[in-house]
Amino acid sequence: MSPRLRRSARPFPDDEALPEAPRPAGLVLDARLHLLDRQTLDVDGRPVATVDDLELGAPGSTSLSGDDTVLVAALLSGPVLATRVFGGRPPSSRLHRIDWRHVTDVGTTVRLGVHGEELDVLWVERWVRDHVIGRIPGGRHDPG
Amino acid sequence: MKRLLGVALGILTAIGGFLDIGDLVTNAVVGSRFGLSLAWVVAVGVVGICLFAQMSGRVAAVSGRATFEIIRERLGPRAAGANLTASFLINLLTLTAEIGGIALALQLASSVEPRLWIPVAALAVWLVVWRAKFSIMENVTGLLGLTLVVFAVALFLLHPPWGELATQALQPTVPSQEGHASYWYYAIALFGAAMTPYEVFFFSSGAIEERWTVKDIGQSRLNVLVGFPFGGVLSVAIAACAAVVLLPRHVEVSSLSQIVLPVALAGGKLALAVVIVGIVAATMGAALETSLSSGYTLAQFFGWSWGKFRRPAQAARFHLTMIVGIVVATGVLMTSVDPIKVTEFSVVFSAVALPLTYLPILLVANDPEYMGEHVNGRATNAVALVYLVVILAASLAAIPLMIVTGAGS
Repeated sequence: MSPRLRRSARPFPDDEALPEAPRPAGLVLDARLHLLDRQTLDVDGRPVATVDDLELGAPGSTSLSGDDTVLVAALLSGPVLATRVFGGRPPSSRLHRIDWRHVTDVGTTVRLGVHGEELDVLWVERWVRDHVIGRIPGGRHDPG
Repeated sequence: MKRLLGVALGILTAIGGFLDIGDLVTNAVVGSRFGLSLAWVVAVGVVGICLFAQMSGRVAAVSGRATFEIIRERLGPRAAGANLTASFLINLLTLTAEIGGIALALQLASSVEPRLWIPVAALAVWLVVWRAKFSIMENVTGLLGLTLVVFAVALFLLHPPWGELATQALQPTVPSQEGHASYWYYAIALFGAAMTPYEVFFFSSGAIEERWTVKDIGQSRLNVLVGFPFGGVLSVAIAACAAVVLLPRHVEVSSLSQIVLPVALAGGKLALAVVIVGIVAATMGAALETSLSSGYTLAQFFGWSWGKFRRPAQAARFHLTMIVGIVVATGVLMTSVDPIKVTEFSVVFSAVALPLTYLPILLVANDPEYMGEHVNGRATNAVALVYLVVILAASLAAIPLMIVTGAGS
């Protein structure tokens, strides 16, 4: 990601002593490693979406100054994936959010405490179900 | 007793499900041009697919996560997106070849133009994907596909010069009338046919469809380790039939009727009928697997709800993807493109795409966060690393060889 710098061009002295990394009590999550690109499941274990991006900061507020504590406000999914791949930033009104308060567990999947039906991120799924798949005969019956 | 039946059924469907249009075409073409001098590639491919399928099945059973979810998580959206694009397109190419294969087999049985059969075949594929239960779909096509054993029977009936065939297989040399580049090009095609990536998407997603748990790992390993080698034997039998009948007559395989010709010569009408049933079942099974795989890969990348165990309405985008995939494949076939040619390209591109799925699976099979105590053992990893080199070499060499040999011609 970051361009490699030559030893002489580094913006800090070679022998700079770094402070000890903090060791907080409790579970430490790495947002990139444990949240981004993980599958989210709703309270019934049905897939909802993959975490395409995160919204940081207090919900609604867009500006952050340097010394603010950064919080994960929401998991984002949907068109925001395109900006993550190609760069740029979608307007805040276009984001499809899953509020962080709905998250109940973070493991190999991110589990939510709500039903997927209630979430905005699933509107495409609902649209396809109601207008295409649900209208084909047999679409609402168990297979077999 | 029930357990024993389950094991037997699993192995038999693994044998019947191993062969698809790619194996049929590539083995017949190779047999008719190179004799059995490329049989060693089938052996290499079978060991590879055993290793690969066994790893992805174990990852799915232990972690409950299917291949493409893991690829996305490990590689990030950019690399995984590129991977998805390549895998999805090659899978679509394979689906096109398989539906074409069904139509060609039905043409052999009925003498009706394949373009009349293509929509029928596509509709049949969709109906099964739409309504049938996963286990029934797997078992019926797998067991009917077993009738391709008739290739092995035909080989015996042809009274071939066994010594000569054994020499060709065990001391492979490039036949004098063929170039080295063509030889290696077909080696890669054969490798790609044996190790098609869709089998891995399908195998790992199928493990979740059938709700495998850690307890089922042993059974799945047995299915793969016994079933696939027998499938490989059938592959070699197809090549051997072509080597005995077509090679001496300088027949170059370009249609399905030439592939089944040795069987018809050896066993007459009855054998021909049986082999047509086998080809319809094998291509139908593979068409189902590839159309499901197209849905699996896309749904798993984007995190959609997927699976045949759900009602279609509960996995709407998954089912829509498969419908679009089948429609596109049908559209391509209706332009009267030759399905045999499509097949030849699809197996080579499969070989090109192999590292894209192989490497992430290998990484996750070693990740204790997913696998706990079921991570790869040392022996598996040693073999897996050797195969990583083989797969990379085949993948890198495929396109240059394709250009140099003019796609093998």
